[in-house]
Amino acid sequence: MDDPRWYERAVFYELLPRGFYDSNADGIGDFQGLREKLDYVEWLGVDCVWLLPFYPSPLHDGGYDISDFLTVAPELGNTADLVAVIEEAHRRGIRIISDLVMNHTSDQHPWFVESRSSRDNPKADWFMWSDDDHGFGDVRVIFSDVEPSNWTFDQRRQQYYWHRFFHHQPDLNYDNPEVVDAMLGVVRFWLDLGIDGFRLDAVPYLYKAEGTSCENLPATHQLLRRIRAEIDASYPNRILLAEVNQWPDAVIEYFGDGDECHMCFNFPLMPRMFMAVRREQRFPITEILAQTPDLPDGCQWGIFLRNHDELTLEMVTDEERDYMYSEYARDPRMRKNLGIRRRLASLVDNDRRVAELLHGLLLSLPGSPVLYYGDELLMGDNIYLGDRDGVRTPMQWTPDRNAGFSRADFAQLYLPPLMDPVHGYQAVNVEAEQRDPSSFLHWLRRMLAVRHQYPQFATGSLEVLPADNPSVLAYVRRVKAMPGSAGGSPGSAGGSPGPAGGSPGPVGGSPGSDRGPTSVMCVSNLSRFAQPAELSLGRWEGCSPIELLGRVPFPRVTSAPYSVTLAPYGIYWLELVER
Amino acid sequence: MPPTPGALEELVVPYLERQPWFLADMARFDRSLRGASRLADLEIVFDGRPGLASVVVTVGDRPFHVLVGWREPAHAPAVLGSRQGAVLGVCDDGAGEVLCYDALADEELATGLLAVASAGHESARRVRLVQSLVSHASLVYDERLFMKSYRVLEPAPRPEIELLLKLDEVGFEHLLGAVARWERSGWDLALVREFIPGAVEGRALALTSLRDLLGRGADEQRLRSDEVGGAGGDLSSEMRRLGEITGSLHLALAEAFGVRRLPTDDAPVAVAIRVHGDYHLRRVLRTDAGWVVAGFGDDPLIGRSGVDAERREPRFASPLEDLADLSYSLRQVAAEAVDARPPATWDQARRLAKSWERRNRGSLLGGYLGVEGIGDLVAEDRSAAATSLETLVADRSARTT
Repeated sequence: MDDPRWYERAVFYELLPRGFYDSNADGIGDFQGLREKLDYVEWLGVDCVWLLPFYPSPLHDGGYDISDFLTVAPELGNTADLVAVIEEAHRRGIRIISDLVMNHTSDQHPWFVESRSSRDNPKADWFMWSDDDHGFGDVRVIFSDVEPSNWTFDQRRQQYYWHRFFHHQPDLNYDNPEVVDAMLGVVRFWLDLGIDGFRLDAVPYLYKAEGTSCENLPATHQLLRRIRAEIDASYPNRILLAEVNQWPDAVIEYFGDGDECHMCFNFPLMPRMFMAVRREQRFPITEILAQTPDLPDGCQWGIFLRNHDELTLEMVTDEERDYMYSEYARDPRMRKNLGIRRRLASLVDNDRRVAELLHGLLLSLPGSPVLYYGDELLMGDNIYLGDRDGVRTPMQWTPDRNAGFSRADFAQLYLPPLMDPVHGYQAVNVEAEQRDPSSFLHWLRRMLAVRHQYPQFATGSLEVLPADNPSVLAYVRRVKAMPGSAGGSPGSAGGSPGPAGGSPGPVGGSPGSDRGPTSVMCVSNLSRFAQPAELSLGRWEGCSPIELLGRVPFPRVTSAPYSVTLAPYGIYWLELVER
Repeated sequence: MPPTPGALEELVVPYLERQPWFLADMARFDRSLRGASRLADLEIVFDGRPGLASVVVTVGDRPFHVLVGWREPAHAPAVLGSRQGAVLGVCDDGAGEVLCYDALADEELATGLLAVASAGHESARRVRLVQSLVSHASLVYDERLFMKSYRVLEPAPRPEIELLLKLDEVGFEHLLGAVARWERSGWDLALVREFIPGAVEGRALALTSLRDLLGRGADEQRLRSDEVGGAGGDLSSEMRRLGEITGSLHLALAEAFGVRRLPTDDAPVAVAIRVHGDYHLRRVLRTDAGWVVAGFGDDPLIGRSGVDAERREPRFASPLEDLADLSYSLRQVAAEAVDARPPATWDQARRLAKSWERRNRGSLLGGYLGVEGIGDLVAEDRSAAATSLETLVADRSARTT
């Protein structure tokens, strides 16, 4: 497990401990249950599990409203159960990272309870209090659906407190050094228990300053550098993955000079993958790729199709948002804040071909893919549940009672499993899809295995190939030439299919071979109709591309444009060896 | 020693008479105007083997440009491959026989030509011949630059080049910028411009949108034309952006060539500017960085005596004429997409195509009128502009049917 750059090649799997597997029949998933299901996670080919918040919480915001940072919510087990999960995962070469909310606490956190009790208690300045609600007037309200202002009046203290998200989530005051020390203590606590890193929630908002948007301030970056320095010094192989829902030029700042976060999510890319498929043309994707800056060494994007939140449309223009609403959220209940609250399967009208196409993009575009639990089954959602609960229903394991998720009474479940005729657990579940060799689950598992064989997908450069047909997206992932190495080939680096993909050694290089660097070319048809395309592959003239899944040789590249034809929503992954 | 001018002329004239582009050009004119041919200009570009000469021959008063390459006859077949049609014939370069041919068929010479056309500022490793039209041939260098090698010449500056240079002067950036120009003896021989790999003609995007819209067929739920997607909303944001680019193109043209006031009674603003004049969906390219104006047309009639004076008079017209051209090409491409569907679906497809056209024309105009300062050129009143535009598009339809 000693591999400081593992995250560059890892496939992440985001899961809700509460919704994964219930071991004690209380209707709520727990760590003991997760430990029992690590076989499945390993079988799928995942390298790292990202745990959604598991801290004690009144659960007004899916656990992101934390009332104690230093323990596990009792319904999920205790800290020892979590440590057992970590140890069992590590034995299988799987890492575990956890969500951490630094920006705010729950209003039931003892820190806030004390802070609001008077104006002169020891924690009086741990949160942001004001006599009026005029401060930071330039700041947008993120949950505009339900929160009229970022200030809320507290009757007890007779003052307003600042909250960037819900009113029950007061923002911590990072100008107070005691708060900084307390949060650093939280970070150390979990790292000491063996957690492999954090997914940092809502990072851009930590520090505030009048006259600014209170986002991305220099002091916030300074704090991140301080945490990173501590990790580098005392906690090797651990990572910081930041949630920064901003444009790429602002997000890039969170990598610093390679001295802030190891990874950041690429938010703008996600809605554009959907938009490109819906519009049947590549420009939404190529446009954002062209605007995405190169990363400092040792940094990696986290890319995803869906997660526990809504499909956020903050990073698209108003016009594009209208378009996305009309195409993907015809029922207003499908909308949420500035986004669409649906799972992948529902977003693509349960079209397996589109799901494969989108996953093909997810696994081959630059960045480490982050899967959302259940999407590997093409699980659906329940838009009639409140807030974002519709995409947080129990994992569907079997066609048995409660989807095999829990032996509790149905009424006791934290959320009902899906039971509709299309996405319900009777039809969509792990057992059925494992038994069916042509299921989406098996397809995805095979693709993950192929991805693990080619380091190009993880760390290769990206070059979009010109194609005459706008419905065809073609790009090449190429390993940077390593001095003294002859080139790459499957198996020579990047390890065998399976977790934690092998040695961190230089990519490329099959000794004794006279082949040049190996590239992987990905060609995708974004249209629901069959499409032809002509690609210019001048650099690979004379080479015979080989299809990655079946090792099928394709016609030799000549000086003429290279013709391909693609089935509806078809994808090709081809190996190209330079001569 | 290169082949003598006389020897080259003897080879070039019969070669010309075999060329489809030459015959196509000549077919436009009265045979009696053709008159005698004569060598008007010769430049030895590369002396040696292989060698290259730029040859201008006039037929009557019409100048044609041929780039002649030569090699030892034994080497030529390997270089020319299947392009035997490029061969001019054999002559003597003083050291023995050489085979002469159209130099654009020889990758080595065509690559070297870039340095010549750009006066040594540019060089490339690879070249591909992409297009061979009546007026010019196009070559792409390293997927980075492209060169138009003109066949039918006219006095410099060629209108296309003049437009590019002036637009560049006033800082209009949404075009494929001119990188170099090869001018000699009062003629423009070639133009080197930026090449944007992956750019797609507006027409291809429009067809993609129409294919999507018309292909929905059975899904009635999605066919309500008032919905964004139902009328091809996928193209409308693109058309809005194209409208914005068109607006800034017009402001740049007005700045570069001035504004003329039209005599009028009623319209609040009626001005004429130097318009693009041949603005349609093939002339605009969608790139990863937005739309660019790809070209300005290059009619081979230009430069012809008789039509000369009229053609060289820059075309001033209402800016709405360009928008009408573009809107009309939306209509044409929609009709084309409908025709490609099964006849049984034509009624429904035409209805959809019509709302598609209306929606996208509206977005184009909306983007256009949103450009700051555009009120100096057209009435900003949206409904008035929309009506005028509709009339102009109807005129174009009437003219062709």
